[in-house]
Amino acid sequence: MSILAIARTAGLRIVRDRTALFFMIILPIVVIVVVGAVVSGVDRIRVGVVAEDDGPVSSALVAQLRANRSLLVRDYPDVGVGKTAVRRSEISALIEIPPDTDASLRRGATVQIPVYANDVSQNAQAVDAAIQSTVGAHGALVQAARFATVQAGGTFDANLARARHAGATIPAVAVHDIVVDTKSKFLPNGFNYSAPTMLVLFVFINSLAAGAAMIETRRLGMYERIAAAPVTARSIVLGEMLVYVGIALTQSALIIFVGALLFGVHWGNPLAATALVFTWALVGAGAGMLAGTLFRTPEQSTSIAVAAGIILGMLGGCMWPLEIVPAGMRAIGHLTPQAWAVDAWTELLSRGGTLTDITRQLIVLIGFALVLVTISVRRLRHSLVT
Amino acid sequence: MRAAVVIATKDLRQRLRDRSALTIGLIAPLAVAALMSFAFRNADTFHMNVGVVVQDRGELASAFRAGLSGPELRDLVSVHVVADPRTAAKQVRDRTLDAAFVVPVDFTRRTLAGLPAEIQVLSSTNARIAGQVASAIASSFAAQVNADRLSVATAMAAGSPSARLDALESAATQLRIPEQAVNHPTGAKQLKTISYYAPAMAIFFALFSVGFAGRSFFAERREGTLDRMAAAPLRPSTILIGKVLSVFVYSLASMLTVVGISGLFFGADWGGPTGVVALCVAMSLAIVALSALVIVFARTEQQVQALGSIIVFTLAVLGGNFITVSAEPALMRHVALLTPNGWALRGFLDLATGARSAGNLVQPVVSMLIFAVIVGGIAIVRSRRVLSP
Repeated sequence: MSILAIARTAGLRIVRDRTALFFMIILPIVVIVVVGAVVSGVDRIRVGVVAEDDGPVSSALVAQLRANRSLLVRDYPDVGVGKTAVRRSEISALIEIPPDTDASLRRGATVQIPVYANDVSQNAQAVDAAIQSTVGAHGALVQAARFATVQAGGTFDANLARARHAGATIPAVAVHDIVVDTKSKFLPNGFNYSAPTMLVLFVFINSLAAGAAMIETRRLGMYERIAAAPVTARSIVLGEMLVYVGIALTQSALIIFVGALLFGVHWGNPLAATALVFTWALVGAGAGMLAGTLFRTPEQSTSIAVAAGIILGMLGGCMWPLEIVPAGMRAIGHLTPQAWAVDAWTELLSRGGTLTDITRQLIVLIGFALVLVTISVRRLRHSLVT
Repeated sequence: MRAAVVIATKDLRQRLRDRSALTIGLIAPLAVAALMSFAFRNADTFHMNVGVVVQDRGELASAFRAGLSGPELRDLVSVHVVADPRTAAKQVRDRTLDAAFVVPVDFTRRTLAGLPAEIQVLSSTNARIAGQVASAIASSFAAQVNADRLSVATAMAAGSPSARLDALESAATQLRIPEQAVNHPTGAKQLKTISYYAPAMAIFFALFSVGFAGRSFFAERREGTLDRMAAAPLRPSTILIGKVLSVFVYSLASMLTVVGISGLFFGADWGGPTGVVALCVAMSLAIVALSALVIVFARTEQQVQALGSIIVFTLAVLGGNFITVSAEPALMRHVALLTPNGWALRGFLDLATGARSAGNLVQPVVSMLIFAVIVGGIAIVRSRRVLSP
């Protein structure tokens, strides 16, 4: 009973702090929204178009660019503004449709469509390829219309219409994309990416920051007062632990419900997800209690908690997928519990994994939790009995 | 003013005695910036290994194979001949290859006969960009073949007699698609990850000093030293200025050190110190104004902590300290420019990409100063009520 009473008191003190409410509820949701919004568009390449010619042939090219599903096209008033957007990485490339495009194409000339992009980047090659294929497809129609006009007569516009019609009916050489594997090593895009990674990040940071409450309790001499009552050191330790696990679980539940209800996040196999959330809560509790016994002032705990939480989160793949970093960084990342938790969520969300598929990750996480909890319990007991 | 400096010096000395000041002001931002620089080391270049399985012996298959090894694609792809589609698929799955092409048996014959034909592109769900690029390479090849077939079909539809079919087909092979997308450099410098995230992290952790002055203020009130100061011939605003002056020195020193070390050791580049110093000074003044605001609006040390944390995280999330805000949806970009850190990062981004005209620097600096004046002004007006005995 005393365990519950201790847990209740400690829990109330934390929950009454309105900052805790901000960190537990508002901040994670805001971050999920922001990160989710940012990563939801990464499948499509953002490009800008400056249409300096509004003839029907040029307009058709712009329309064809817009119809390309791998491109997200935005209009820019002039090349200068567009190039600034490229420089600031607001768009990956700027396509300029030069003033006399329409007339030149009708005349039989070859038109160069300038594409302004940053010199080298992974994205630049994909952008280049996507633009080339659209421009090529449009150019094919123009080529056909001009050829027909020369060889068979008629007007360019009539033959262009014929080319469009023929293009839709004659069998073409197709490019058949075959994806050879279905199991992704990445979390899905959008909120399905941001919600689980932010759960891992914030539950850990919050648990660490909650260590400040334990320091305050120590500073106020409350442990001594509790110890004066017929309560064992073990009860105090267990009571504290209960609070930390409770906080981590509450926050996880909030993120999961908000993610599912507001953003349609699918959290995967329920049994496996529940096991993962509980295990992660234990890791968080261990880390929080360790912070509570390690630091001297609440300020130290909160400020260092945030820094440590962010650094571990980055190493562990909460901010970007570890699949994209060099192998050495990936290995170092797996020294943090975060990497194992994110791996487990990836298994559940991207590959439809079940409890058995994440057993290895769960065992590692339980190992982390055991180490953290054992060290902090020893330190707390030590401070209580001495 | 001398009194304010004395108060500031004392606060600064006290602050530096606490080890967390060093962690937050120096170690953490440097660690994060270094981490980001290592994590994205390979992201600046793109080259892919593609496999090609040529099951067709015709001229079009040879042309496709030759095109892959041509000068235009040399920097982008390394071509590896693979015996059969199954091996190619396995190598793509294992990531030995980033993508693979399969030109099936009879490709040339079917294409020339006007029958449906295809080039297969094998890709992995874990190498999507490589898949897109490979698909686009195949599409470019198919585009010319299709354009020629389309030209003949259109000429026939326009009334060319069927007796001329062979002549038309022969003429069409000489055609080249009359529109070409041609790459032009923007003239800007490529943005390095470290050049954005070093200042982003320096600013994020410097923002934490928003609560320092407030905590020290309320600690002094608790311990009674504030009353003693009030007994001296000091104006309330002098005490406030003294408190926030220490914040200015601390955050400026922290940002300049982190940014300086990133420039010297991690390859970050903002083209000389003038712009960097101007942005850091303006950002520090914005932090000072925020610190003053926290002091005059909070009533207890806990409230300082709460308000401070909320301000830090809200600004950092919205201003783009965690995610490159320029890549976000347009709305996010506008929201970011409502925050001083958003403007500071815009300034650093411009410096890092070589836009070093005065205008590119003046706009962020002035925007941050306006923010500092408005927020600081509110704090000063309210300080009379709060600090008056």
